[in-house]
Parts: sequence; structure tokens; C-alpha cells
Amino acid sequence: MNTYYAANLLIYAGVDIIAVLALNLQFGVSGIVNFSFIVFQAAGAYAAAVLSMPPHTAADYSFQVYVGGYQLPFPIPWIGGALAGALLAIPVGLVVLRKLRSDYQAIALLVTSIIANTVINNARPFLNGAAGLALVPQPLENQVDTGTDNYLYLYIGLTAVCVGLVWFLAARIVNSPYGRTLRAMREHELAATALGKNPVALKMTMFIVGGAIAGLSGAILVGFLTVWAPSTWLYPETIILFAALIVGGRGNNLGAILGALLVPVGFEEVTRQLIRMNIGPPNLIPALEWVAIGLFILGFLWFRPEGVRPEPHRIFEGSPEAELVEHVRTA
Amino acid sequence: MSIFAAAFGFGLVSMSVIALAAVGFTMQFGITNMINLAYGQVMISSAYVAYYINRAGVTIWVGMIAGAVFGAVFSFLLNRLVYAPFQRKGTSHLGMVIVSLAVSLMLANLLLPIVGYFSVSYQEHAGSLVRLGDIVLTNNQIAIIVLSLAVMLGIHALLRYTRLGKAMRATAANPMLARNCGIPTQRVIDMVWLITGALCGLAGVVAALNSDSFVIASGAGFLITALAAAVLGGAGQPYGAMIGAVIIGLVTELSAAAWSPEYKEVVAFGILVLVMVLRPQGLLAKRGALAAAG
Repeated sequence: MNTYYAANLLIYAGVDIIAVLALNLQFGVSGIVNFSFIVFQAAGAYAAAVLSMPPHTAADYSFQVYVGGYQLPFPIPWIGGALAGALLAIPVGLVVLRKLRSDYQAIALLVTSIIANTVINNARPFLNGAAGLALVPQPLENQVDTGTDNYLYLYIGLTAVCVGLVWFLAARIVNSPYGRTLRAMREHELAATALGKNPVALKMTMFIVGGAIAGLSGAILVGFLTVWAPSTWLYPETIILFAALIVGGRGNNLGAILGALLVPVGFEEVTRQLIRMNIGPPNLIPALEWVAIGLFILGFLWFRPEGVRPEPHRIFEGSPEAELVEHVRTA
Repeated sequence: MSIFAAAFGFGLVSMSVIALAAVGFTMQFGITNMINLAYGQVMISSAYVAYYINRAGVTIWVGMIAGAVFGAVFSFLLNRLVYAPFQRKGTSHLGMVIVSLAVSLMLANLLLPIVGYFSVSYQEHAGSLVRLGDIVLTNNQIAIIVLSLAVMLGIHALLRYTRLGKAMRATAANPMLARNCGIPTQRVIDMVWLITGALCGLAGVVAALNSDSFVIASGAGFLITALAAAVLGGAGQPYGAMIGAVIIGLVTELSAAAWSPEYKEVVAFGILVLVMVLRPQGLLAKRGALAAAG
């Protein structure tokens, strides 16, 4: 147990919390089954990478090919990552969210995720294909020595600031009248439409906001890892985040954070310990990890569909007799 | 022009493979109201069952039957043990999509330690070449086309001329009404999973035979082409899926000849996006034997 290991754990936890909070806004609060969530994280990571990297003709970078290479200082790459996630959400959302039934939306997004990975994997000149990008500069590396423990603390701090910002934003959305509208749409889209709410506009907004947050999480991750490749954003990665949300509790931010700590972070740790014990053939434990995640999803959907921390029942406080008002079950 | 004639020949094979997969997928959706995202994984599992039988020295055509039987039994059990209980519990449509995706993930990773990461292929002589003008096909490819045509005619006969087919169409249109008319919908749905599971298994072996080699990850590609054909034809419509398979099969092979074979699935995806923007209900929205429920 050294500092790097602990920092690794904390930064992953921060990135997962940010991602699950974004997915909660989309799936938990608005009911959009975004099976291509990881693509938006990847878009943010790629954008942050090419914004901070030198052109691919530079001396140490000539072994890879990619577009861009602007060498922009921190925090522009992180902002750019969030922007990339938001921008990508616009065309995808316009195709998927306008006319399709919700189950069609889910499969269209799943297929989009698989195809996007195939395209980036095969089209090498765009983002270096299957090999991916390497030697991505770390934030502030010209100002601070990145090899020290202090830099790790700095990175944890930057991640924590982003977690705080995203949590604040998510809390504002969930607890506002706007959040109530989103929940109304999730529970009964037709009824919400009849009340004059525009479900397409609501979904598009949440798709773009979620895409921006996902992009930010990717930017944070790539700045820490300094590498990014198609194999890091295969579609099952999205399922882990869904598992986190289902286990933690859909529709509320505390549940999302709890889920992020239990599933991606917890699983990763248990797997790491099991691998260290050398049980069975290599790759058996990682494969069984995925099986366990599938079992977690099925088990929770069967025994406790509302998750460890259920969405609180919300009661209209303006009513004089709050107890008499029928509790609106939003779980 | 001969490269396009050859591509047309491959398109015939391709559409035969896709049709087998897409018709099974779309019937599951149309009759049992289940978008089974584990379909591609069951296909590849069946392909591996046939692979192990083939490796023991048995011809792949026998392995194909074993793959179909495995697909049928597995799909039947999958519905009985997982999907049906969740549906009875009142899990939402979207919840069921997530359930099937979780099943798909588990299936792939249970299989992975058993079959390994390396790509494998069947040991089957491709047979002698048959020339029809510029179109050159192997005996195996012609067998695939004939097999697929026979199965499509069989599905047509089943839906049109048998009591079971009529009961399936009634169940698809309105399960409650069908039950009230004395149709044993539970048994009909069991039969649907057995039949579509057999189609799925058969399609998996045929698709694996038609590609040079396959790995576990091939299942996702199988699923995408089947989905594209089913959605293009109008989800839940077996005849629509057949038309979808013809279009997707031809277009992907012609584009592979003109452009790059790496992007076959991307072309299928492009067609899918166009359909979703221009005609989300698919080509056969109002016609066809089975209306999409829900």
C-alpha cells in the first residue's frame, strides 16, 4: 500500500462518481437508457488528449498519428473534454431521442457504442486506431514535477473539485422544479406531455448535460493515465456504470455515489486482490468479475430494484395537510 | 465489373445468413415482446458447440444440427428461468432490455475461460467452386443459401398454414384475447422460444462457417446485423426481417467490394440510422404477420 496506489484508488473513485452522477441524471432521473454512455467519456478523453498533446510530427510523438495536437495549457483540455462530450451528444441525441420508442432508443445507443468503437479502432489516422494515444501530457506538468507525491495530492485535489462541482450541479437539477419535470416525464411521458412539457427538449438537455459531465470524467482519467485506447471503452464499461446505479439506487445522487463506490471501485479492488492470490488460470478472475456484475444487476433488479439507497418519496410541502396527500412514489 | 458480380454472389450468401438470424430475433420480439440482446451471444455459443463437435472429426453439417438444438434448449431455458420470471414480476420493458444485456455479458464471460481468447475456425473443406457467369461460389456457400431459403419457406408455412402459427400470430396481436379464446399462450410462447432458439443456433453456426474465423467477441457483430435487418423490416415482422436481410446483405457486401470489408458493420449501422431517422417503424409497419407489441 503506497501513495501511488492510494491516489490511483481515489482518482478512480472520483472519476466513477462523476460518471455515475451523470448517468443518474440521464437514466435515474430522466429515464434515458444511455447504453453508449462510455462513448461520451471516451470523446472527452480523446479531446483532452489531443488538445494537450503536441502535433504528431513532434519528435517523441511520431510513432502515433492523430488529429489536432495543440499543446494547450491546463485547464483548457478538461474544458474541451466536457465540450466534446456535449457536442457529440447533440447529433446522437437528435437521431435517437426524437422519434424512437424508449426500448428502440436503448438498442440504438448500444449499437452506436459498439460501432463507434469499431470505427475508431479501424480508422488509424484519426486517433491512432487500436493502439490508441500514449504520452498524453499531465495537467500542469510544465509548472509542477509530476513524479512526486505532491503531484498526486494535487491531482486528487483537482479531481475532488470536479466531483464537488458535478455533485452541486446534479443536486441543483435533481431538487429543482426542473428535476420534478424530469421525474414526471420518466414516470409518465404522455401525462407530462399533456401538461405542456416537451419531452424531446427535456431529454436532449439531459443528454447534453450528461454528455458534458461524461466528457469531463474522461478528461480527468486520461490526464492521470496518460494513455487512451479503444480497448478502454468497450460497451461493457457502460454496463458497470448501470450496475453501479442499480445497486446504489436510481434517481438520487447519494445512491449514485454509493453505487460508484460499491461497484466499479469495490469490484476493481476485490479483483485486484484475487488476482494477486493467483487463483485458477490467468484471465479467469476478470471474466468472473463480469459474470458477478451481471449477477449483481439481475439480483438487485429481482430482490431490491430500488437499490441500496432508494429514491426518497417526495411530498409536496406546500400542502396544508401533507400527510393526507397521497405519497407520490417515484422509486 | 466482375468484382461487383462476385460481391453480389457474396451478398446472396450474406443475406441468407442474416435472414436466419434476423427472423428468429424479430419473432422473439414480436410474439414474446422481449428484445433479447443476448441473441448474438447465444449465436456464438451455438457456433462453439458446433466447433467442438466438428473438432472431434464430425462434419460441420452434423455440428450445425447440434448447434440448433443447443440454441433451442438454451433459449427455452433462458426464457423459463430468467426472462419469464422477470416479466411476470412486472419488470418494465426497459428493465427487460437491461436484464438481457446483463445475461449477454455473463454468457460471454462464462464462455471465455472455456473456449479461450484465440480465434478458431471449422475444419470443413469448402467444396468445389461453382461458377454462374462472374459469380463464383463454393458448394458450402450454395448449401447455406439453399438451407436458408428452405428455412424461410418453412417459417412462412408455419405462420400461414399451421394451427401453431395461427396461435403465434394471435398471441403476438393480443396475448390476453388469445388466452381468452382458449389458446394456451404459455405453451405457444415456449414453442416460440424453442423455434427461434433453433433459428438462432443455426444462424450462429452458419455465420461462423461463412466467416473465416470467429471469437467470442464476434457475437456483438452478429447481433448488430440481425438488429439492423429486423429494425429495417419493422421489428416483430418476420417478412420484414427477410426483406431487411436481403437489403443489408447486399449493401454490406457491395460496400465491402467498393470500400473496405472492415466497415461492413458500419454500413449496416448507417442503414439502421437512416431507418431510425426516416422511417422508425420499419418498412413493413402496417402489414406482415406479427405486429410489434407495446
